[in-house]
Amino acid sequence: NPTLLFRPKAKVLLKLPRSLDCSRNRKLPLSRGSCLCSFNPRRTIHVVRASSSETALIGNFDISSSDDILYKDIFPVKRIEKVEGKFFIRLDRSKDQHDWQLTVGCSLPGKWILHWGVSYLGDSGSEWDQPPKGMRPPGSIPIKDYAIETPLKKLSEGDIFHEVKIDFNPISEIAAIHFVLKDEETGAWYQHRGMDFKVPLVDYLEDDGNIVGAKRGFGRLNFAFFPKTLGAVTGQYRIMSQVAYFLVIYRIPSEPTLGDVGALQQFSNVLLKSEASHADSQNNSIESKDSKNKNRCLEGFYEEQSIVKEVSVGNLVSVAVRKSPETGKVIVCLETDIPGDVVVHWGVCRDDAKIWEIPAAPYPPETTVFKNKALRTLLQPKATGNRSGALFTLDEEHFGFLFVLKLDDNTWLKFKEDDFYVPLLGISSVPGQYGQSDSTSEEISSKSYTDGIINEIRNLVSGLSSEKSQKTKKKEVQESILQEIEQLAAEAYSIFRSSITTVPEEVVSETETTKPAVKISSGTGTGFEILCQGFNWESHKSGRWYMELKEKASEISSLGFTVIWLPPPTESVSPEGYMPKDLYNLNSRYGTIDELKELVKSLHEVGMKVLGDVVLNHRCAHFKNQNGVWNIFGGRLNWDDRAVVADDPHFQGRGNKSSGDNFHAAPNIDHSQEFVRKDLKEWLGWLREEIGYDGWRLDFVRGFWGGYVKDYLEASGPYFAVGEYWDSLSYTYGEMDHNQDSHRQRIVDWINATNGTAGAFDVTTKGILHSALERCEYWRLSDQKGKPPGVVGWWPSRAVTFIENHDTGSTQGHWRFPGGKEMQGYAYILTHPGTPAVFYDHIFSHHRSEIASLISVRNRNGIHCRSLVKIVKAERDVYAAIIDEKVAMKIGPGYYEPPSGSQRWSLALEGRDYKGKARPGDYWSQLANVEGK
Amino acid sequence: QILVFLFQLDRLRLFVGLPLDAVSDRNSVNHARAIGAGLKALKLLGVEGVELPVWWGVVENEMGKYDWSGYLAVAEMVQKAGLKLHVSLCFHASSQPRIPLPKWVTKIGESQSSIFFADRSGQHYQQCLSLAVDDLAVLDGKTPVQVYQGFCESFKSTFSPFMGSTITGISMGLGPDGELRYPSHHKPAKSGTITGVGEFQCYDTNMLNLLKQYAEANGNPLWGLGGPHDAPTYDQAPNSNSFFKDHGGSWESPYGDFFLSWYSSELVSHGNRLLSLASSIFGDTEVNVYGKVPLMHSWYKTRAHPSELTAGFYNTASRNGYEAVAEMFARNSCKIILPGMDLSDEHQPHDALSSPESLLAQIRTTCNKHRVEVAGQNLASGAPGGLEQIKKNMLGENPIDLFTYQRMGAHFFSPEHFPSFTEFVRSLSQPELHPDDLPSDEAEATESVQTSSDPNIHLQTA
Repeated sequence: NPTLLFRPKAKVLLKLPRSLDCSRNRKLPLSRGSCLCSFNPRRTIHVVRASSSETALIGNFDISSSDDILYKDIFPVKRIEKVEGKFFIRLDRSKDQHDWQLTVGCSLPGKWILHWGVSYLGDSGSEWDQPPKGMRPPGSIPIKDYAIETPLKKLSEGDIFHEVKIDFNPISEIAAIHFVLKDEETGAWYQHRGMDFKVPLVDYLEDDGNIVGAKRGFGRLNFAFFPKTLGAVTGQYRIMSQVAYFLVIYRIPSEPTLGDVGALQQFSNVLLKSEASHADSQNNSIESKDSKNKNRCLEGFYEEQSIVKEVSVGNLVSVAVRKSPETGKVIVCLETDIPGDVVVHWGVCRDDAKIWEIPAAPYPPETTVFKNKALRTLLQPKATGNRSGALFTLDEEHFGFLFVLKLDDNTWLKFKEDDFYVPLLGISSVPGQYGQSDSTSEEISSKSYTDGIINEIRNLVSGLSSEKSQKTKKKEVQESILQEIEQLAAEAYSIFRSSITTVPEEVVSETETTKPAVKISSGTGTGFEILCQGFNWESHKSGRWYMELKEKASEISSLGFTVIWLPPPTESVSPEGYMPKDLYNLNSRYGTIDELKELVKSLHEVGMKVLGDVVLNHRCAHFKNQNGVWNIFGGRLNWDDRAVVADDPHFQGRGNKSSGDNFHAAPNIDHSQEFVRKDLKEWLGWLREEIGYDGWRLDFVRGFWGGYVKDYLEASGPYFAVGEYWDSLSYTYGEMDHNQDSHRQRIVDWINATNGTAGAFDVTTKGILHSALERCEYWRLSDQKGKPPGVVGWWPSRAVTFIENHDTGSTQGHWRFPGGKEMQGYAYILTHPGTPAVFYDHIFSHHRSEIASLISVRNRNGIHCRSLVKIVKAERDVYAAIIDEKVAMKIGPGYYEPPSGSQRWSLALEGRDYKGKARPGDYWSQLANVEGK
Repeated sequence: QILVFLFQLDRLRLFVGLPLDAVSDRNSVNHARAIGAGLKALKLLGVEGVELPVWWGVVENEMGKYDWSGYLAVAEMVQKAGLKLHVSLCFHASSQPRIPLPKWVTKIGESQSSIFFADRSGQHYQQCLSLAVDDLAVLDGKTPVQVYQGFCESFKSTFSPFMGSTITGISMGLGPDGELRYPSHHKPAKSGTITGVGEFQCYDTNMLNLLKQYAEANGNPLWGLGGPHDAPTYDQAPNSNSFFKDHGGSWESPYGDFFLSWYSSELVSHGNRLLSLASSIFGDTEVNVYGKVPLMHSWYKTRAHPSELTAGFYNTASRNGYEAVAEMFARNSCKIILPGMDLSDEHQPHDALSSPESLLAQIRTTCNKHRVEVAGQNLASGAPGGLEQIKKNMLGENPIDLFTYQRMGAHFFSPEHFPSFTEFVRSLSQPELHPDDLPSDEAEATESVQTSSDPNIHLQTA
């Protein structure tokens, strides 16, 4: 029912204002296919970086040297250039006239790979097999067990074609050669009618529609136009209109790779074969008769096809504004290195609304008026270099200068979706204000991104034909929307997942069997936890931290955190809470007990588990003993000096010797005393009940035996527990040892003593990261066995990785993470196994969005505390690892790319080194999530 | 002069089901934040709306007293997200997650078990009321139909601000899992396992009374004493007893025809009672009323179609049992929701002699004949090849215009599932054509001019 298809909806109306805007403001004829090019947003600026023309351009611009410049900016732009070329397939006798030779060649520049295989006589379906060894040209690489990849090479420098030749004996059992062509540079595949190319060597093969060369009488081209049906394909390559042979698959995540297709085909063939086997045995005689009729008469052929590759080319548009001292007029100087005729379609505006107007003459040479709404000026070639430019002289009262570039009838170059804009008014007050576009464009993009996101999706997802040519530029926005969707989904997932508890199975029966979906243990939580340290060293100062944090509860949760660690809640001699006195008095500098309860409730409501910071090692006394030593306790736990360890002379305890190291600032509690343990267990139980804590962060666990911790944890049944076992790493002559096994062994020993009921902060990893990042010694990130060198390499599920806490960083800075390297640290711990913990100060800083993205990548790919790490590189300047075969990460300035092959990787996240000036080339990490197999 | 044409195809409407327990029995929204994020994600994906199960057991905790607060909150969230809402009124209970019938109903059932269906062994199915009590005043002096009516009317007045704008569709609960059927299979068919034939559910006192009356009226009083004695039990195959045998089975005997006619017509009458109620209540709104018809696809390849027979559809190799059903829907101007559009024959166990695709085709053809519109649903997310099959059903020769994908939750957003769903949605909304395949600009311009008389194409001159 075709009328149904055109029912108007509100969606249509959504689109109208946009278009109206275009026509009013831009004074452009609205034409389909008008915009192939787009401003290249910051995220992909590195594409432009590839050309060294930037410096050249700046250097050569006469505007850059003058001192009176009021404004200068360089806009990187990306446009699509079509490169046409030819591709041929030739089948002929080789020189000795015995063997035959298949030659495939391509004249387009690129790194061409022939991905090929053969089928044998009697094969059914379109299964590929590995060709016999003798057939494989040098340089071939086997791909699994069904294909070969052979690079195309230029035989000599002067050759136009990259070629590959495959020699074969025509009386072999080979029925056909199958292939596709792949451009390694772009990752694009050339296929034939959506299938592989097939060169039949015997003519009984059934035509699946993808045979190259006619069945009989090769050389007679016998191609029918084949409607292309691969809808989802967005081509980087265009197919010439009449010769519609090629379909090219751009690397789209989740589109099966060729390898996958092959595997599937193989699989289905196995099924086919088993079904067909009965029929075969019955028809044996007929079969053999048939096979006699197979025609082995090969004839050579040669076919040539045109192809177009779209290459994205980075160019720059430079604008400078200065004031003419003589006339007082404003001079806008525009230059670009875009080759060919470039027309500037321009105007000025009076205010922020940026409505186009035509300024008063004079205009530069070669200027025409376009429909009384805009001016068009052809840029004049410069004497030196391949650049063109123009000077525009304007009255100084204009607010701004607007332009777009027109390359040819159908190609417009814009600033993102909008006009290029150069401010004219007010800039004189800030002389020498450079590099504005970077910050402003960022702002514009994020604003319009949130405002228009819903509208955009309409255009994007629907793929309206009227917008088809804008696809290229839509892609960027589309990707960011998809990322947004993924983040939302990850958030929803983490909440839904955390609440899967029991699943009644039976419908009728009264006994309902239940099974827990996630195995939770206090050492690991679900295994998918991400911890937030919810305070810093200053948090006590406002006196209302609980209430302040409550405001942030949903925000923290929405970033993907599942567990939050709150500051020590008890009455304390020191305001930060680590010198507890009356354990049952929970009014502290962070707030009252009621506020704490309220906070915990809010945190639970947003789906987070809450850790209480419990100080079990020591406790400050209320009273002095007869010697004037403070070791008698008050409050509900009114212990006497038997609760204090005996081996610290300061406190004259009458208990046993300490089972661990001593903390000298307060009486250390003797956990070997039955009554002490009983009271502490009761207290922990009370905290669970009364406050609603889900688990513990255990302070200074070096001070007492891990076996007692096990006892406490078994009694209080926490959802998650982590202990602070912090001592020094090994150094030799002031330099950190590569091998930190003894350090991590001590932590692992403690975890072991708790029987794995608690995890421990991975101090080892933090220390090694310090050296690796600060000194560019990334080799440290692999131990002798090629595993992570910290606790996370030995007992990942119990390692709580972190880079900073209230002691190491914050305002104390006892052992601060190297400045500027924080994101590299987080890129490491948030992609690796272990349970990562993020410090409050980092969450609420400029790192926030990147941390959120990393968490999102972690959640999206289901990385958990036991994920497997494969370290791919640990060299001086680069560390790279692949986690669970899903996420590839890289830190450090050195080079690493995820492996190509059957896996296809898409960039998930990329960040810069923030230390010093941000240089586009200085990416700190590159993460990719594989979407194929 | 350059002309620009803006037009948009009316896209297929895709809904996603909200979690069954989106509103808890204390009438608060469960996982509100997750649902909020989920709604945003769906909106960005271009999904049209969501489906919200509204449970009798959550709303009507006391007879005649309705607490809609949780559902109102969800409706507001949906409205805010700019999505549409399809409401499923559920007069049944759910076991997973556990959402029981209203407590007062369960209490009545404790002393009066005949309000529930019973099978041959006397086992009661307590997840919904027996259709035989529809018009009996078993609920504290009221009939179930009257109680349902009160529920629907209260719903309508409470949600009137949303009707027709946010709420675009309402499914009337018709039986077990909301479907028009007998609870012949206590366990829903799991994909990959072979389901038995199920059992007839005509053994509660009231069903037996109806059967007796019917038998006497037809001059065969002896046939009215109970159901077929030679039917297999729940998990058995058709041939394990003589009733469903392909050849010479009792189903083909005059007795079989007598019993099956009665059994199936009771189901259709029940459907008619509830749908006429719904259409009389909601008929004056702009909301479409739907009812769900199950896809009892097991044993479809046998002649007797036992699974359909025990479920109440007298559909065999020689008789189209869906005629009466479709006709009943047509009479009430209601649309049919068909689940199982994710099932494909090739993924069914071979021995089950099942054919979801053929059954779907049969029901859809019958519905077309009666001009009853069909909306789709999947049985379970994650069925092998499910998304592909759904796509085939949605975009095939005979496309459906509304599909509800089940269902939001942990699995839905999991890394194993969500990316494929995203891809699925995008592939639905993106036309199958590659830009290169579209006519060239010139050709398109001509084409557009030719169709520009169509008032639905927006024409703009620059």
